[in-house]
Amino acid sequence: MEAIASIKPETVPAASVAAIDTVAPTYINGSHALMKALLAEGVDTIFGYPGGAIMPVYDALYDYQDQINHILVRHEQGAGHAAQGYARVTGRAGVCLVTSGPGATNLVTAIADALIDSTPLVCLVGQVGKKLLGTDAFQEADVMGVTMPITKWNYQITDADEVPEILAKAFYIAQSGRPGPVLIDMTKSAQLELMTKPYVYERCQSLVSYRPRRIPKQEQVEAAAALINSAKRPYILVGHGVQIAKAEDELRELAEKTGIPVATTLLGQSTIPTNHPLYVGWLGMHGNYGPNVMTDQADVIIAIGMRFDDRVTGDASKYIKQAKVVHIEIDPSEIDKIIRADAPVVGDAKEVIKALLPLVKPNDHTVWRNEFRKYDAIENETITVPELTNTGGKIRMAEVIDMLSKKTKGEAILVTDVGQHQMMASRYYQFRRPNSLVTSGGMGTMGFALPAAFGAQVGAPDRQVVAVIGDGCFQMTLQELGTIVQNKQPVKAIILNNNFLGMVRQWQQLFHERRYSFVELQNPDFITIARGFGMDGQTCDERSNLSDALDTLLAHDGPFLLEVIVEKEENVFPMVPAGASVSQIRLK
Amino acid sequence: MTTYTICIFTENTIGLLNRITIIFTRRRINIESLTVSETERKGVSRFTIVIKHESREEVEKLVRQIRKIVEVMAVFGYLNDEIVYNEIALFKISTPLGSKSLDVETINKEYKAWVVYWGLDYVVIEKTGNDTEIFEFFAYIKQYDILEFVRSGRVAVGKTEKGLVEYLPESEWAYYL
Ligand SMILES: Cc1ncc(C[n+]2csc(CCOP(=O)(O)OP(=O)(O)O)c2C)c(N)n1
Repeated sequence: MEAIASIKPETVPAASVAAIDTVAPTYINGSHALMKALLAEGVDTIFGYPGGAIMPVYDALYDYQDQINHILVRHEQGAGHAAQGYARVTGRAGVCLVTSGPGATNLVTAIADALIDSTPLVCLVGQVGKKLLGTDAFQEADVMGVTMPITKWNYQITDADEVPEILAKAFYIAQSGRPGPVLIDMTKSAQLELMTKPYVYERCQSLVSYRPRRIPKQEQVEAAAALINSAKRPYILVGHGVQIAKAEDELRELAEKTGIPVATTLLGQSTIPTNHPLYVGWLGMHGNYGPNVMTDQADVIIAIGMRFDDRVTGDASKYIKQAKVVHIEIDPSEIDKIIRADAPVVGDAKEVIKALLPLVKPNDHTVWRNEFRKYDAIENETITVPELTNTGGKIRMAEVIDMLSKKTKGEAILVTDVGQHQMMASRYYQFRRPNSLVTSGGMGTMGFALPAAFGAQVGAPDRQVVAVIGDGCFQMTLQELGTIVQNKQPVKAIILNNNFLGMVRQWQQLFHERRYSFVELQNPDFITIARGFGMDGQTCDERSNLSDALDTLLAHDGPFLLEVIVEKEENVFPMVPAGASVSQIRLK
Repeated sequence: MTTYTICIFTENTIGLLNRITIIFTRRRINIESLTVSETERKGVSRFTIVIKHESREEVEKLVRQIRKIVEVMAVFGYLNDEIVYNEIALFKISTPLGSKSLDVETINKEYKAWVVYWGLDYVVIEKTGNDTEIFEFFAYIKQYDILEFVRSGRVAVGKTEKGLVEYLPESEWAYYL
């Protein structure tokens, strides 16, 4: 390990200085050590919300305003999702700063979401003073206990001296291997007290007990290559892991050299452009027809950076029984968890594909690939074309996304919430660039999109960020409009308003005999609300106005909210009913 | 149902027991017994957890989930015939004046159990062995008045040539030995 910053003892800044002013040299306090550690890790943005138990850190932050951009959100869940959006587009850890008790518990949903979608977060949480720990003190919550099962790692700092080492560990753990959320619970006393030794920061490069394998074992790669070379009907399934590993180019090279068709999971979308000749669509409950059905035809499945989520496999006991499986994964606990792998390769997707490339033979699987296209034609005829060529009735979600996709040339970062609009956005947006879909996959957290879009825009200021949000979802975190406006981020938000909790209504229609139990919403005037926050917006209710409305949205200087009134009772198809096998996918 | 003994080597940190047991709870696997102690290496703790399970595959998945914990260095799962293992049981037996007197010779010779404490009107007997041996002794000693009975978790070492710590990731370890 190499020391990257060795800082001499220095005087304690203003707020806590009075009593010890005269002692020289004095040592910095825990809060200032925290600031220095964040800077050493290259953190330039923090999403946070202050409170009693984190005030010393906020006090220190005051001195670092020009180096660290702190963004005041409106609710801690918003801080978490914004940090997720930021992390997803930058590939670096998103940082949240919140107070103890309610501040920390408000963050919990976002932490759980980040864990399941492998998003690196460093959550810094205030805690009551060391002497008050365990006494049910004001705003004390057992945040360590609460977050233990939903963090990759958590730690309670009770001593200012621990700050540099623990922060270094936190960033290393959050960002390496399979990324995930890390939580540091910091007692107020540790924030206030002075370190007893000079501040020295060493970035963490490895830990005795935690050593993710990046470089694969050669024999595993060879076994995988042999399987791939022997396949007649091979099929590549791409998950989020490929984009996390920034292995998009390598993946494309692998597919092109071997001629193997590629499908993606929901989170794997945008890894490969949707118009790439080898791309066959996306998998899962509401994925495309061909990619789902064809998984049951393949003889070799090459799963890369994906975990066979039940939304992808349907009934796992009936899934790909006929196929040999190559599973490329950085997290060894995913191997054989759901689907037994014949050739597991543990390693970083980029490193593994690089190692595979010289070993796989050039091939041409045109005949096999063309079989996918037959299903595309059916899907097109029964679903896509009718959805896009409506002339009567209300606007359909599909039309909005299709038009948005064309107007943005597939170049935008699409952030979606959870529900029918999420699936429609995934179906109809034609991604051209990697890292362009930010959505809550594993957790399916309503309220994700608005704050995540904000975070994504902060992380990718040069890209156009468009959030597609359901009317139900929007009302879970709409207060973050305030954050967007205050920070002047040009987020474009589209509410697809069907006055229903649409996805739940769809299930009730299909599986509960149309018993629409508590899914109808009496909605507020969204545009008035946006205006109240100081954000421009407009409503579009007519098909003939849709194009102009989207132009206005996209051209607007600054954030904008477009509400589109859509068909109340449309359904998302194809659909693999819960518990069915993927080949039982329904077209209507 | 097969009995599995899972040995987990960890860094000795606060909260780890919780983090490990959560994994069992989440998978609805009951912990039969659990012991923790520091090993011959400073700062390295060893958990010995006994579970019963029908599916070896599920146990393997469990082991992999445990390995995921950042502070966990290594996890080994064993079947009974792959280990030497024991538990300690203490029996507090009432011996007031006039009660049936203990047959200490049988207790020692047949059951290899020892009286480790003589109280005024009770004794404490220690029996070390596997669970069958302990329950055999229990069946025998039942005829006296058992005031308290307590059993420890299992401790186990593998029947391998090497010590398990040899398999741990390399580091500059401090040894007790
Ligand atoms: C926090 C949370 N609560 C409940 C759900 C269950 N749920 C999934 S989709 C959905 C409906 C979403 O409605 P809306 O935002 O209007 O989108 P639509 O499906 O109509 O496009 C609900 C309630 C969830 N995913 N997350």
